[in-house]
Amino acid sequence: MWRSGGEDLQGFYPVRPECLADVPRTRFKSRAGKTLSARRWHAAFTEDGHLDMEKVLRRIQRGGIHPSIKGAVWEFLLGCYDPDSTFDERTKLRTLRREQYAAWKQECKTMVPVVGSGTYITMAVVQQNGEPIDESSVENQGWVVKETVRDERVLQWMLSLHQIGLDVARTDRYLSLYEDGANQSKLWDVLAIYTWLNLDIGYVQGMNDISSPMIILFEDEADAFWCFERAMRRLRENFRATATSMGVQTQLGVLSQVIKTVDPRLHQHLEDLDGGEYLFAIRMLMVLFRREFSFLDALYLWELMWAMEYNPNMFATYEELEDRNNAADDPKLLKRYGKFERKYVNSGKNERHSNTIAVFVVASVLQTKNKRLLKEAKGLDDVVQILGDIAGNLDAKKACKEALKIHEKFLKKLGAQIGPSRKFSFAFAVFRIKMQHLQSGTKPALTWVVTSSIEIGKAVFWQVLVITWTCILYTLVLSMAKASVAYWCTVAIRIFGLGFMSMVLGLDSCPQW
Amino acid sequence: MGSSSGQPEFDYLFKVLLIGDSGVGKSSLLLSFTSNTFDDLSPTIGVDFKVKYLTIGEKKLKLAIWDTAGQERFRTLTSSYYRGAQGIIMVYDVTRRETFTNLSDIWAKEIDLYSTNQDCIKMLVGNKVDKESERAVSKKEGIDFARVYGCLFLECSAKTRVNVEQCFEELVLKILETPSLTAEGSSGGKKNIFKQNPAHTSNASSSYCCSS
Repeated sequence: MWRSGGEDLQGFYPVRPECLADVPRTRFKSRAGKTLSARRWHAAFTEDGHLDMEKVLRRIQRGGIHPSIKGAVWEFLLGCYDPDSTFDERTKLRTLRREQYAAWKQECKTMVPVVGSGTYITMAVVQQNGEPIDESSVENQGWVVKETVRDERVLQWMLSLHQIGLDVARTDRYLSLYEDGANQSKLWDVLAIYTWLNLDIGYVQGMNDISSPMIILFEDEADAFWCFERAMRRLRENFRATATSMGVQTQLGVLSQVIKTVDPRLHQHLEDLDGGEYLFAIRMLMVLFRREFSFLDALYLWELMWAMEYNPNMFATYEELEDRNNAADDPKLLKRYGKFERKYVNSGKNERHSNTIAVFVVASVLQTKNKRLLKEAKGLDDVVQILGDIAGNLDAKKACKEALKIHEKFLKKLGAQIGPSRKFSFAFAVFRIKMQHLQSGTKPALTWVVTSSIEIGKAVFWQVLVITWTCILYTLVLSMAKASVAYWCTVAIRIFGLGFMSMVLGLDSCPQW
Repeated sequence: MGSSSGQPEFDYLFKVLLIGDSGVGKSSLLLSFTSNTFDDLSPTIGVDFKVKYLTIGEKKLKLAIWDTAGQERFRTLTSSYYRGAQGIIMVYDVTRRETFTNLSDIWAKEIDLYSTNQDCIKMLVGNKVDKESERAVSKKEGIDFARVYGCLFLECSAKTRVNVEQCFEELVLKILETPSLTAEGSSGGKKNIFKQNPAHTSNASSSYCCSS
């Protein structure tokens, strides 16, 4: 079954024959020894259902997931389920979630009976002001609002329903699976219910690209919904629109900062072309490269990115549980993080950062086109055209590998800028205060002196604490002269000593930094 | 050395913008024009872009056509693309009335707000005439709207390609008739966001001398 070139999955998600010419060829192949196969996946569970996530992550980061088990693995990657739970616990949680989804669906159905009916809406059901649509000509799948809608939230939701329908009708139309109207209305239901529960963001085009794969991977609509909901936890801020900006611009800002740091020449060039805002990268970030890759290759890229971003505390965070493990307390835990996330945890940075790996994947794409961009791009139109050429030509694994390299380079360069001062906590405290003072543009005042004294005081306190602790431990061990104990103590000192050294060097001295 | 190697030289570069409600067929219209095909396209996220080379009379033209997302949420992003456009095409769907009424309520106002070109040519296009039986906006209403707002008007179908080329050609002819716009298009004027390389500038400025 396994050939050296790997299993060709070209036809795993069949494409309508008339669309074959327009769709990029699938590059992903399932490779023995690299791709997480169904057999390996099932072997990674203990008898009662605990999952060896470390092993699974290693595999995924090496060669992706075989399409036959994608859905089940994604549920863990996205934090729907805790690998440290049993089969029974998960079955219970799944039942609970399905019931919850059914309840939400019922709530929506009461307001708009089209929900769950197997069809969907592509025409407005209500006027902007909440009044019923007066035209008799509206043949709106048999349903329009009859009485004025007064509730602002309900109205807002109803107004988005036909937009969802318009987009569902044209989502991944090249896939044979969407020839089936039942799958389209499933997609519409999921998006409509998600919108009802997330009115602060509402429905934004692009969400259909994110949810469509879930509809295809999961038989059960509720499971698809929950997987989509979890994926959106990472992406939803990109979709938040205000009167002046869109959320994705935060990530564009990070991208700009990354390119400026790792490739200043390219950044300058883009800035000269009026492209310093990196607006041309919006689509890549919002729909996670869905339009640049074939269907299966995009899913491969997603699982690579999610595996690299995997954080074992995700489940607990989403479920708002208290029992989180801190990798800083136990270096062994680090192995349970994805490669990308580990870097953040390792450098003592806050785990809640907005620098997702997607930003670095975009950076890697820009880097691969660096020469052409510098030489040929004379305007923003050229930039968009050059980047347009990547469609179907990108290798997901390579892009992620490059992204990790750029990430490392970025952290290093950033570290070089503030590193020396970080080594000594005193200096760092002073530096930080100076920075704050510079940023706010205020003049030194009494409050400034007080706060800076407190900051420096805190730094001194932590340094003294760490050193005292080390001294106490050494004295304790030296006083215990028993031979057998002494051996283990020396080992312990070495291990702890290393930890302390790094702490003393200021890498991890103060938790709040 | 062209802007992309192997591309023909051109006398003018014009920036054209496509706007209008979601799902009226802006991207389909553009695809139909640039590559003679029709497809069920995914919704545009943010802004998309395509190039088309045209020869009108003796003049070689490069059209840089920007295709915007129709959903209201994207308007803060798409607004910056109005800058420096010589032509703006407002598209509506003849089978969906609200896409037509939104032109005066929303899109015409957007143009007034964001367009930097006083003389910019506006064009109204009613798409999907292949669905004649579902028509909800009459041709006369389109003509009346165009008269009020001082724009060109055509009805077309991206699917059957009826009038697709004419849409862009009529717009370009009108731009070519407007001296302030051809001056801008040929010299890559300062307001234009496309910064030309010196080769183009010299090439194009000579043609400007001829044309004026």
